[in-house]
Amino acid sequence: MRTIAIVPAYNEGSRVWKTVRSVLNFVDEVIVVDDGSRDDTAVQAALGGAFVVRHAINRGQGASLKTGTEAALVKGAEIILHVDADGQHDPNMIPTLLEPIRQKEADVVLGSRFMGVAPTDMPVSRRIFFIAARTFNSLFLGIPRDVTDPQSGARAMTADAARRIDFTSDRMAHCSEILRLVTRSSLRWKEVPVHVRYTPESLKKGQKLSNAARIAWELLVGSARR
Amino acid sequence: MPIQILLIAAIAAACIATWKRARERVIRVPEAIAWSIVWVAAAFVILKPETTSRLANMLGVGRGADLVLYASVVALFFLMFKIFMSLDAIEKHLTHFVRKDALRDIEKQKK
Repeated sequence: MRTIAIVPAYNEGSRVWKTVRSVLNFVDEVIVVDDGSRDDTAVQAALGGAFVVRHAINRGQGASLKTGTEAALVKGAEIILHVDADGQHDPNMIPTLLEPIRQKEADVVLGSRFMGVAPTDMPVSRRIFFIAARTFNSLFLGIPRDVTDPQSGARAMTADAARRIDFTSDRMAHCSEILRLVTRSSLRWKEVPVHVRYTPESLKKGQKLSNAARIAWELLVGSARR
Repeated sequence: MPIQILLIAAIAAACIATWKRARERVIRVPEAIAWSIVWVAAAFVILKPETTSRLANMLGVGRGADLVLYASVVALFFLMFKIFMSLDAIEKHLTHFVRKDALRDIEKQKK
């Protein structure tokens, strides 16, 4: 099955090449969505062998994933994979994410950091954030508590599922929104363990405790718009 | 009282500004009428503050001034939320155009 990975990247010039090279070992094509970077992200991604789509201005990770997903559908992807650009996701997890779809056991596969494979160097503040996010998700968004990772960025889905999951959050709330849409739909979903490595650089950009209120606000405004 | 003169003058200015905007077609006439009703009601409350006290007592709030304050907080919150909503809509439009631009080449290749 033709598999395309989407890598949203914002000012990731120093790391995107390596990410693209390592992800290409497991998929047919990598699409890097350069989200209005001010550095050479687009050039590095292209040098790494990725197809580059460029946002003229920064629109956020959710918007980039959506743009990349649309590009992948145009390019005839049968499986679409979402991977972070900062090298936080261990590329060796990709076969684990793809397997349930290839075996036709699931339409959407979500990578979870809390299913037995211990994350490397995860700070305590991040752990607290995830506990709070999981509670928020189940209380206010109706996401089942058996979803162990409330903010997973690593996921794979069939082209049909990608067309059906119409997420609109441009920025940080997209993870929760995707989970909500997936778990409320008739799509078959499955969580698989993934390994994540935290570095000082990835921590600078990732979800922080202080972002929790902002995510909640984005979800509130987003739901009121519908 | 001087405060009443000041507030009435401010309301008169707001009313004039509203109708000027309507003449310039920045806002629609029904909107101008709605705003005028708000201004006239405010002027009435300023000139006859005891009316708010009567209403406040009916609702179980101690003083008229308190009732006006509570109502203002609710109205301001509503307006602020509406502004956030329109900002969010603008952001969504912006993303739509940025995405369209980003995917222009790939769509062309497909055709």
